[in-house]
Amino acid sequence: MSQPTAQDVRAYVVTTLDEPLRAAGVDPAAIPDDFDLHKTGVIDSLGILELITGLEEQFGVEIDYEDLDPEELTIVGPFSRYVAERSRQAA
Amino acid sequence: MSLAEVDAPRSSERGLHSGFLRSADRFPERPALEVEGRAWSYAELRDRAAAIAATLQARTPEDGPPLTGVFAYRNATAFAGVLGTLMRGHGYVPLNRTFPIRRTQQMLESAGCRAIVADAESAGQLESILADRTDELLVLLPDEDDVTEIAARLPGHTVLGRRDLAPAGDWQPQPVDPAALAYVLFLSGRKGAPRGIMISHRSVEHYVTTLVARLGITEEDRFSQTSELTFDNSVFDMFVPWQQGACVCCPSAKTLIKPGRYISDSRLTVWFSVPSTAVFMQRFRMLKPGSYPTLRHSLFSCEALPVEVVEAWAAAAPNSTIDNFFGASEVTVDFVGYRWDPERSPRESEDAVLPVGFPLGELDVIVADEELREVAPGAEGEILVGGPQVSAGYLHDPEATAAAFAAPPGRSGRYYRTGFRARRPRSPAEPLVYLGPMRDQVQVLGEPVPLREVEAVLREESGTEAVAAVAWPVAATGAQGVVAFVGDEDADPDALRAALRERLHGQLVPRRVHALSELPVGEGGDFDRDALIRILEEPK
Repeated sequence: MSQPTAQDVRAYVVTTLDEPLRAAGVDPAAIPDDFDLHKTGVIDSLGILELITGLEEQFGVEIDYEDLDPEELTIVGPFSRYVAERSRQAA
Repeated sequence: MSLAEVDAPRSSERGLHSGFLRSADRFPERPALEVEGRAWSYAELRDRAAAIAATLQARTPEDGPPLTGVFAYRNATAFAGVLGTLMRGHGYVPLNRTFPIRRTQQMLESAGCRAIVADAESAGQLESILADRTDELLVLLPDEDDVTEIAARLPGHTVLGRRDLAPAGDWQPQPVDPAALAYVLFLSGRKGAPRGIMISHRSVEHYVTTLVARLGITEEDRFSQTSELTFDNSVFDMFVPWQQGACVCCPSAKTLIKPGRYISDSRLTVWFSVPSTAVFMQRFRMLKPGSYPTLRHSLFSCEALPVEVVEAWAAAAPNSTIDNFFGASEVTVDFVGYRWDPERSPRESEDAVLPVGFPLGELDVIVADEELREVAPGAEGEILVGGPQVSAGYLHDPEATAAAFAAPPGRSGRYYRTGFRARRPRSPAEPLVYLGPMRDQVQVLGEPVPLREVEAVLREESGTEAVAAVAWPVAATGAQGVVAFVGDEDADPDALRAALRERLHGQLVPRRVHALSELPVGEGGDFDRDALIRILEEPK
């Protein structure tokens, strides 16, 4: 699979978390860039692990998260951009 | 530091907070706490706690309930609240604003708290939490200068802000009965309702002094504070360092998800977490060799600790010892511990998981049959624990207490029946190996989950008798969640999950609900959990 763009990553996150997003009363199609998946209870640390594992399988990339600010790890926009950026560097 | 200092003979007569107070006398300028980007010296934290304690002394009756709620989250008020409550002579009841309102209401009511110390953000929930209370509560808000608005929303209760607190100098030290409660911690009992576990000063002091001596803690040490106060690993995080004048370093909840940089930046010397955190860090490639040279001791507890994870951690923290602990809240945090040895430990491990080791301090840990008689060396049975760390029992629940605490034949005193299976070591030199849970109780990410109770609630909410709950998926560290099944094709899984979320808490809430036309039945006539797990394991 080719390198994902930030849009691809975001689309994957939103699709994967469709049910918990709806359960939290959020429209998955309309979540803002600064939406925090952890603070809103959509995802816990196990969910994050599942998400990044799924991402790597989906796009066939291995991401080093060392440089990602913990505060941004679960914020949709910055997270998607980081993964896209790292995939590009890894390729 | 000598062992004589650790085991100061009078310490057990003065309460859980006495170690902190002694450190505050010895090291008033040293940091006791770092939280929200700020350091608090021992003198500062003591004064903040003493103001809370003095206010509680002046405003709560001597014959009132001996428990005070601490409703604060990862900030100075949380720690000052815990210390201030203890200095008042009350046990603390940790509350958590990330819990559902109903859960917090039930915990407060069960504990009979008449006073609460709250931080600014948690205080916002008090209007809902106290809506139905007809009795008067004392609410201390040490973060708030002006409480007029909050007080107006809490009619019938006494609300005091920072400026209403008594001066720290008014606090009068009071004697502590070693049998009095130091804290009450809630897990899930019948139908998932909170069940309080009563822990005395005597119990927790045995644990704290044992761990201080084992690790040789000094005032130079800097501890991670990873566990929520509502989870008893936090007792280690606070009271082991404070006993010796060391510093508690409390990261934000967000930082904890990915704590690598925090360990380095805060120059931590002691790390304590559940093994899942280490697995997580490994997955995030945060266990690169030599990453954490400042760590002297790394401790893990509450889940299976895989050899592979330990080896990665040992490489990342080359100057650190690694201890695997195992316990139950009913016997005060942990009752056995195992020190990793790169030569010996892989041989002593079973299924690539570390043994849980040897009894802590004076505890008596035995492996027994259903009649509570110790089994033969090498045979399997249930782990029973006796000694000073055994809880006084469950709050207001003599029936559950009688079922879980008993005196084995030929032994004196109460033992806790852990519900954990183990093989009795063949000799005292052989470590205890944990084999798994018994009686439908599983541990999910370190939290005990009674599957029968999840099923009881599932039955009520679904209106069908055909229900089952299983622990799934299961990783090297243990179960990662609960999945529920209902034998009713027309059931709405999303609606059921929402209903369960209202009634259950923490890891008891199923991550998924599956509706099947019928559930497989096993040989005993019960629904066959193994067959259900096979369904989950089938590729989609």
